[in-house]
Amino acid sequence: MINELMIILFAPLIAGVVAWALDIKGIREAIGIIGAAIPLAYLVKLYPTIIENPIDYSITVSGFTLQFQLNTMSWYFAAVASLVGLAMAFGMAVTSRESYDWLFALMSFTGVLGVFLSQDFVGFFLLWELMTFASFMMVLRRNRHESLKYFVLSVIGAYAMLIAIGMLYAKTGALDFASIRQVLYMDAAMGTITTRETAIIFGLFLTAFGVKAGAVPLHVWAPGAYSETDQSYTAFFSGALSKAGAYGFLLLYILMGYKLYAAFGTFHNHLTFAYIIAWIGAITVVVASFLAVLQEDIRKLFAYSSVGQVGYILLAFGLGSTLGFAGGLFHVLSHAIFKGLFWLVTAAIILQTGKTQFKDMGGLAEKMPFTFAMGLIAVLSLAGIPPMAGFASKWLIYEAAISAHMPLVAGAIFLGSALAFAYVVRFLYAVWFGQRPSDLEDVKEAPLPLLIAMALLAIPNLVFGVAPGLVTQYINKILGGEVVGGDYYKLVTPTGTYNALLVTIALVIGLAIAGLVYIYGAKTRKIPVTNTYQSGNPVTEEFNLSIRRNFYKPLAEALEFWLKYSWDRFYERVAGMAEDFADSLRQAFYNGNVQSYSWYLAIVLLILALWGVL
Amino acid sequence: MIDWKLVLEVIGILIYATFMGFIFMGIERKAMARIQRRVGPPIYQPIIDTLKLLGKKESVSHGFIYDFGPVFAMGASIAALLFIPIANFQLFSSNADLIVVAYLLEIPMLGIMLGAMSSGNPYSALGVQRGLLTMVAMQLPYGLALIALIQHWGTFKLSEIVALQQTQGWSILVPALFVAMIVFDIVFQAMLGLEPFDIVSAPAEISMGPMVEYGGKHAALLFTQHAIQLFAETAFFAVLFLGGASNLLELLIKQIAVLFIAIFVASIYPRFTIDQAAKFFWKWPTILGIIAVLLTV
Repeated sequence: MINELMIILFAPLIAGVVAWALDIKGIREAIGIIGAAIPLAYLVKLYPTIIENPIDYSITVSGFTLQFQLNTMSWYFAAVASLVGLAMAFGMAVTSRESYDWLFALMSFTGVLGVFLSQDFVGFFLLWELMTFASFMMVLRRNRHESLKYFVLSVIGAYAMLIAIGMLYAKTGALDFASIRQVLYMDAAMGTITTRETAIIFGLFLTAFGVKAGAVPLHVWAPGAYSETDQSYTAFFSGALSKAGAYGFLLLYILMGYKLYAAFGTFHNHLTFAYIIAWIGAITVVVASFLAVLQEDIRKLFAYSSVGQVGYILLAFGLGSTLGFAGGLFHVLSHAIFKGLFWLVTAAIILQTGKTQFKDMGGLAEKMPFTFAMGLIAVLSLAGIPPMAGFASKWLIYEAAISAHMPLVAGAIFLGSALAFAYVVRFLYAVWFGQRPSDLEDVKEAPLPLLIAMALLAIPNLVFGVAPGLVTQYINKILGGEVVGGDYYKLVTPTGTYNALLVTIALVIGLAIAGLVYIYGAKTRKIPVTNTYQSGNPVTEEFNLSIRRNFYKPLAEALEFWLKYSWDRFYERVAGMAEDFADSLRQAFYNGNVQSYSWYLAIVLLILALWGVL
Repeated sequence: MIDWKLVLEVIGILIYATFMGFIFMGIERKAMARIQRRVGPPIYQPIIDTLKLLGKKESVSHGFIYDFGPVFAMGASIAALLFIPIANFQLFSSNADLIVVAYLLEIPMLGIMLGAMSSGNPYSALGVQRGLLTMVAMQLPYGLALIALIQHWGTFKLSEIVALQQTQGWSILVPALFVAMIVFDIVFQAMLGLEPFDIVSAPAEISMGPMVEYGGKHAALLFTQHAIQLFAETAFFAVLFLGGASNLLELLIKQIAVLFIAIFVASIYPRFTIDQAAKFFWKWPTILGIIAVLLTV
């Protein structure tokens, strides 16, 4: 009997390879969906058992023992990834036309699951790289420049992680999480690892996980990479892959938390290292949300928004309180479901219209009503409208940030939320409302598999919104204590309370009263969008009066000073300088002159002779 | 087992709040007129206006979302009202959390914007844009003021904030929270949509912005929504900074005091442009807000 963990882990990869090898239209989609459904099915099946006794499995490959464990925390992350993965597979059944996509999409699925299940750094690093490689291949297919940007930053992250793992191995002599944790815990008291070395290891891990989570200033790959790939895959890319970065930060706490506390101490009653993470998160939230507001491309908008939302998770983890972890973990789930939903809606729009710029769209609500409804659920959830899953998690983060006495970090959440409101409304207006460009007259509703995928992610948004206790009670089990009290419908923290069901009831009462006034009011007559008040100027069909371009121009004007600076442009300039430098080196040395080559040889030999090698 | 007392209270408070909200709108118009040395309409004029709008034989619609917008806005306003402790009527406020109520008070805006956007009128679109940018601008100082308040009282629960103020004195008597109150009051001006932040509707520029297309029963719904929202927001202010109230009369006095400050400020300042408003909000109110939160840490 093969171990269940191996089935969960490798089912997507095997399905991907089979789909790629067979490459028969219809069958490869079926295999892909089945492969993506297996992990979720097994995780659901194993749910009753893992709470009491985690499932272990280890394999030995050429001297290294790879350990895997399904415990309460890895189950949570794996389940979130699998849910989004299944939705991705349904979406890809219509948006992807090549077996290449299936191979690498499902390969990265295996990578993500592996990262969550690994219990030692060998497997963790290998599967981390598998995930990065597969996602890089997905981007490479569409856009070489963006994929290279992603590649370079990922390589920086990978090297940082490798060095950090090497240093940890040198200091502790172990690669599995349990022993590293034990040794570092003991070392916190003894202090054989100096503060400087701890700082270096911390910085390296911060870089490695920061790249994947898209923390500012390492976020520059995300907008390009998220947009230049199959949008159904992006649902997984942004919904699940970025969580690997967030999971890494959590791992940092588990493995090194006590040592980091012992090494750096506290800063105004906050853990110093956690304080750094919180501020990275806060800056990510603000910067990425501002940039999201100013985008003109639907994919770029959601890419930046995704970076910003992962910033919330980092911020919550950085608070260092158990309530913060609860909020962050909840936001892992809610970000995955609402952002996954957003990307599937985007996939549907791009599939049906072939357009990506806001200026080419408009008035699609009548043509794609179901997709619009799904988009509206995602909007309400992301904007944090109670009672949606996005509000419950954001509420926990608010409570945690303010109770942790980090007022400015909490201020960043307020600002980020308003910005989130602004960019989702921009999306609503530009895509769904206003006058329809004439070339979009025959757009049809998205195909069925994509609608199934959307529904798969929309339902949890509603269910976990009205009953957030379902999630928080599980999170209590992960954190090993009653962090968030209450029942299924009500969350209770030491200082506040949120009763989702009561809010729902109040909203229903309100809507019922307003609805009655509406229904018993006068008759309505439907008129087209062109029949509007224009201060006496008649509207004609030739002019599209909807504001599609530069919707938030006043904001860009107010931010003029700040927008002059850009990390992206800075890196591009550094890259350009490096390229020029390398080019001038090449031209200076490889000048095609045999005589100069022989001189190089002579100089090298001379140096070697002086060094005493020869 | 239905709690009939609660049901009656909810119905009673809803009727009272709607009526008083309309009266507040009337006071606003009347006071503004007196300051500008006009006679002004009678104080019950908004009620007459709304009844007239409801009495229209036919109203036009631009589709489902256009109808849904005002209904959603009014529903959300009612929901927000039910969570605020109104004098000695607790309603749902034993469960009310400051963050939840702050969010519920913002939802009506989304409803209005949804409806406005689907109308396809460019003035509405401009209004939506301005509304959201005002919100982006004001949210940072607004958040800071709320954080200062929560940090001082150490609780998110509105009922506990009121109880603490009744034993330890009003919020504004605490120096740090007085600073927070100033910030909140500046933001309040924008929340009510009054000068110098009446950028959203800007009657002289973009013909009432989001509301331009609405007429008939839709407009009546929006008027009623505005009345309830006005009542809820002034009550929210009184609860947070003025110690709540033990009976409706006390609450009314505090609400009217808050309202008059807003009217006086509105009647002497001209309108900001949107980028000026953003720059303003991110300068003085934010600095004051940061001072307030640092004093209460």
